Amino acid sequence: MSNKKKIVLAEDNSTLSLLLKFRLQKEGYDLFIAANGKEAIELIEEHQPELILSDIMMPYISGLEVISHVRNKLEMKVPIIVFSAAGQEEMVLKAFSLGANDFMGKPFSPNELVIRVKRLLS
Amino acid sequence: MNNSQSVLEYFMQLPTLVKAVWLISIVLFILILGLILYLKILRIYLRKNEKEQIKYQKIYEENLINYLYAGDDVNEISEEQQLFINKTKIEILNTFNRKVLISVMSKLVNDISGEIAVSIHKFYYETGLINYSLKKIKARKWEIIASGIDELTQFEVKQAHNKIEKLIKHPHKEVRNQAQLYLVNLFQFQGLNFLNNLEYQLSEWNQIQLLEILQKFDNQEITNISNWLKSNNISVVMFALKLAKVYNQFESKDALLDLLKHPNEEIRVQTIDVLSYFFDTECKEYLKSNFNNSSKSEQIAFLKLLENTGDASDENFILENINHPNFKIKLASLKILKEINPTKFNNLEISESDTASKRIVEFINNN
Repeated sequence: MSNKKKIVLAEDNSTLSLLLKFRLQKEGYDLFIAANGKEAIELIEEHQPELILSDIMMPYISGLEVISHVRNKLEMKVPIIVFSAAGQEEMVLKAFSLGANDFMGKPFSPNELVIRVKRLLS
Repeated sequence: MNNSQSVLEYFMQLPTLVKAVWLISIVLFILILGLILYLKILRIYLRKNEKEQIKYQKIYEENLINYLYAGDDVNEISEEQQLFINKTKIEILNTFNRKVLISVMSKLVNDISGEIAVSIHKFYYETGLINYSLKKIKARKWEIIASGIDELTQFEVKQAHNKIEKLIKHPHKEVRNQAQLYLVNLFQFQGLNFLNNLEYQLSEWNQIQLLEILQKFDNQEITNISNWLKSNNISVVMFALKLAKVYNQFESKDALLDLLKHPNEEIRVQTIDVLSYFFDTECKEYLKSNFNNSSKSEQIAFLKLLENTGDASDENFILENINHPNFKIKLASLKILKEINPTKFNNLEISESDTASKRIVEFINNN
């Protein structure tokens, strides 16, 4: 049984997902990648992660719906960081009201993300 | 053999019109069959192409990320990175590979900042991909030029400024649009200098795109917009009015007041709207004296301005308009009257038959 902390990353940009996976694995985390909200919910239910990273705009199920599912249906208190693009300020506010813990506006620095992940998991 | 001979004999005996119909049917049948076959082959080709693209995209994604994490210092290229650069230089001689690699890099460069973004830009220069983008802007086809400018924008190639500035006058709209986005993305407010001599019209969508780009910069010090407010190009004036409002350009007030006499109605209305946003009172007397010669839109825009700036000195003007036949003007006038003189508003004498005015007064009282 691995002692690594599990993170589910929901992001439809496959290149960005791979880059963050590589970076966070290097920091000692166990990464599970979802390309959309639907996959993210399946991975969260299956692996019960210690942290969720989610983009807001994703196909099938949005990041907001993922947060709502985690907080209301699964009743999990796991920290959630959302990624948002410029002009999605209202979405970020909605994400916070649904229970997100932090947000990062794109473009963001992977190093800064690592710092925030460490802070939330410490 | 006999059968086909008899079919032929039967065909020859048919009337000419029926023969022609048969011939046309056969030709059409062959054409449709050919078209179906062509579409089938095209679909197979496109699917194969798509599969290849996905395959190479995955390869390049992995390779690029390995490259990005292979160096310790963002300012130096490690041995491992140099090997990958050399390999890539050969691979990108192939247009398909080059396209896939650029799309992978674009996906990342838009979402990432910091050291990784710097490394991607460096990779773009070191592999010589920049030369392909610069070559694209000299192409004959507009779509290739636009794509070249887009790449130079994404990878922040500032040295292409002079070449791209010339493309602001390109006959194709998409090229012009990309060139504008390049200038503003890379040179911020200074990039807007292309407005000084712009001959083509800036579409509403262009204007929104430019405003959105400008708002993402930390430096919000705008250059003087007065010259653009005086431009002969109507779309430039409209854009400058938007800039005046977004960036609170109250110092351009004189140029704004001049625009109240502009021959274009849309500009006059927009100007009143901006002055209303600034709570300007200097324009009131001119607009009052010119009220009856103004268009309905200007009159309504002016009354909206008075909703912000109206005072006792406007009472007589307002009273002249509380029975205006236009509903919006009448409603706005009554609203303003209530604000500047509530007693007079409450004591208004409305005849029994004037149900419209009664309902408006009731509405204002309840809201």
